[in-house]
Amino acid sequence: MQHLQDVIDRREALRRAALLLGGALAAPTVAGVLAGCEARSVPDAAWRPRALTPDQADLVATIADHILPETDTPGARAVGVHRFIDAMLAESYAAEDRARFLAGLADVDARARQTCGRAFLQCTTTDQRGLLLQMDREAFATTPAPEEAPFFRTMKELTLVGYYTSEVGATRELRHAPVPGRFDGCVPLAEIGRAWAV
Amino acid sequence: MGGVSEPYDAIVVGSGITGGWAAKELCEKGLRTLVLERGRHVEHGRDYVTEWWQPWQFAHRGLGEQQLYERDYPIQSKNYAFGEATRHFFVNDREHPYITPDDKPFRWIRGYQLGGRSLIWGRLCWRWSDLDFEANRRDGHGVDWPIRYRDLAPWYDYVERFVGVSGERLGLPHLPDGEFLPPWEMTCAERHVKQAIERAFPGRRMMVTRVANLTRAHHGRGPCQARNQCARGCSFGGYFSSLSATLPAARKTGRLTVVTDAIVESVLYDTRKDRAAGVRVIDANTGGEREYAGRLIFLCASTLATAQILLNSKSRRFPSGLANSSGELGHNLMDHISKAGATGIVPGLEDKYVYGRRPTGTYIPRFRNLGAHGEEKVAFLRGYGIQAGASREGWSRGASEPGLGADLKLRLREPGPWEMSLQGYGECLPRHENYVELDPERKDRWGIPLLRVHCAWSENERAIREDVKSQAAEMLEAAGCRSVETYDHDGPPGFSVHEMGTARMGSDPKTSVLNAYNQAHDVPNLFVSDGACMASSSCVNPSLTYMALTARAADYAVSELKRRNL
Repeated sequence: MQHLQDVIDRREALRRAALLLGGALAAPTVAGVLAGCEARSVPDAAWRPRALTPDQADLVATIADHILPETDTPGARAVGVHRFIDAMLAESYAAEDRARFLAGLADVDARARQTCGRAFLQCTTTDQRGLLLQMDREAFATTPAPEEAPFFRTMKELTLVGYYTSEVGATRELRHAPVPGRFDGCVPLAEIGRAWAV
Repeated sequence: MGGVSEPYDAIVVGSGITGGWAAKELCEKGLRTLVLERGRHVEHGRDYVTEWWQPWQFAHRGLGEQQLYERDYPIQSKNYAFGEATRHFFVNDREHPYITPDDKPFRWIRGYQLGGRSLIWGRLCWRWSDLDFEANRRDGHGVDWPIRYRDLAPWYDYVERFVGVSGERLGLPHLPDGEFLPPWEMTCAERHVKQAIERAFPGRRMMVTRVANLTRAHHGRGPCQARNQCARGCSFGGYFSSLSATLPAARKTGRLTVVTDAIVESVLYDTRKDRAAGVRVIDANTGGEREYAGRLIFLCASTLATAQILLNSKSRRFPSGLANSSGELGHNLMDHISKAGATGIVPGLEDKYVYGRRPTGTYIPRFRNLGAHGEEKVAFLRGYGIQAGASREGWSRGASEPGLGADLKLRLREPGPWEMSLQGYGECLPRHENYVELDPERKDRWGIPLLRVHCAWSENERAIREDVKSQAAEMLEAAGCRSVETYDHDGPPGFSVHEMGTARMGSDPKTSVLNAYNQAHDVPNLFVSDGACMASSSCVNPSLTYMALTARAADYAVSELKRRNL
């Protein structure tokens, strides 16, 4: 209930902000804020994908977790990369791009049936990883035009964006300074330690 | 927003970078000034709605909403500063149409709000030199400028002192030094490339850009916090904008009135007095018309909007648009070429990195056609400067390389190699056949005739692009870079957002719209000091010159007003 209350509070805050801003220009921005807040606030059990089926969302989360797994920091599934990908498919992608992505997911299952005899999620972790490594090699064997990118390139890009722009990805896996306050053009890498998130 | 009663001493149309300056100067010189802005009100700080958002707070994590962009922002979304964090500072293209021929696209990037594009500008600040002011006379394109560097130099001093420009003094005659705050630092890789280029190409220099981001606090603003997210708005006032700097200064005088959502339809002309009498305004929300009377009119609506207003201000005396006895109004539209250059990997320096996000890059000043003794002959007129920069690649490189799993994650925890990029910004010749006009039939939702833009690059601009690419690649090779590749993302005019020149200055009223003080030849109390006034384009970013011209024009206008000459 805590989460739900948060959403309601934000909704009210944004409604007031919208009144202050006035005009049509502010409205889509505010809608975007709401979408972002909801995606973050809804607990896992209550979250429902909009472009994906629950099974497809599980498949996306599993592939994403193979791409960026849990190490000494959480992996892609734990930070909700699949939610971000679902939001992109539902809100940003054109119908044909969404269809291409879903066909790519179906193809993962089709190839899993060939290589391990079952749908991807029913394969062993080792078999899953083997298939994805194969798809990764194929995807980067050539450099296609962006509109003809193989599914795995798209999936990998979305996973990386979703992960490294997440709070965990930006602040625990990488380094993030919201307000650096100054710029030093040449410092030892050891002083920073990790790559900057932004 | 204040209650000064009409007639106003001065009316300023537009609140962007030049409108803000006109307002400040006119108010400070004692004029009761009305600023009209067609867009919504934006409150400095409070209305920078995305300023404090972190990456994970954006619903689409910076990738944006592609379907929405294609439908409502097909033009604006091509601008580098457009994105999920800044969309509210760009116009909706569907709601604000203009017309171009099918074979001559033009990208008109616009920000309809208080502060205009000064909220989203690139902030680079360069002085012109006589290499620029004499260019038209030297090669016969366009008309000669009625001013020279010595006319503008004190006004560059004046605006730089207020703006706060950080930068290096190089002592180059063709890119004059100014009054600078300390420069931003170069990265290790930039220092290396700079030394190598300057050694291999005597006469070429590389420096950190001169930029309106404050490296120390200045007039109660800043310093810049090195976030490099300026276009979201900055409540620190770390960069110069109308909202952070000029409009507050104007407001402090008690003589400023600002009216937003006020679209200027035309300038009113009093035939009896032979003067501009005021402006007719359409309320953006209600569509209602009203008029404001003023003794002095400054058009600072932006190059194309100013031309549109003048073309739409028809009278018996001026049947083809106000102040258009020359027939040049709307003509000689220019932009800069950009998005051509080269990239390469700077080897080594793997144990070095940066702290903070510098809000700018480095710059290689123009080195072609300087008139220097024995310089290389090239197949084009005028020249280009190169915007450059080196930074270490980040996590996004993982999306274009094979590999996955814990190995990939570990690899992306480290920054990638130093990548150096060079991008040319080249001068565009003034040509009569690049022009705007009003569509005879189609109107916008407020009943104002749509602008038709006819603009295309010429052979000279194409030749500059070619030279940029080959020279950029040669310089990177000379600096020992690996994987040097040229690129050329040619785009239609307008995409550099340096559109200028539709009401050019000149000495002869028969061939120019404005005189040496940005005053209309035909209408003494009408001034145009935005990009429309430009007689040529130079190759450097133009905003600082617009600002200096505006301050100078305001000074002249007020002295003429006091002498009762207006």
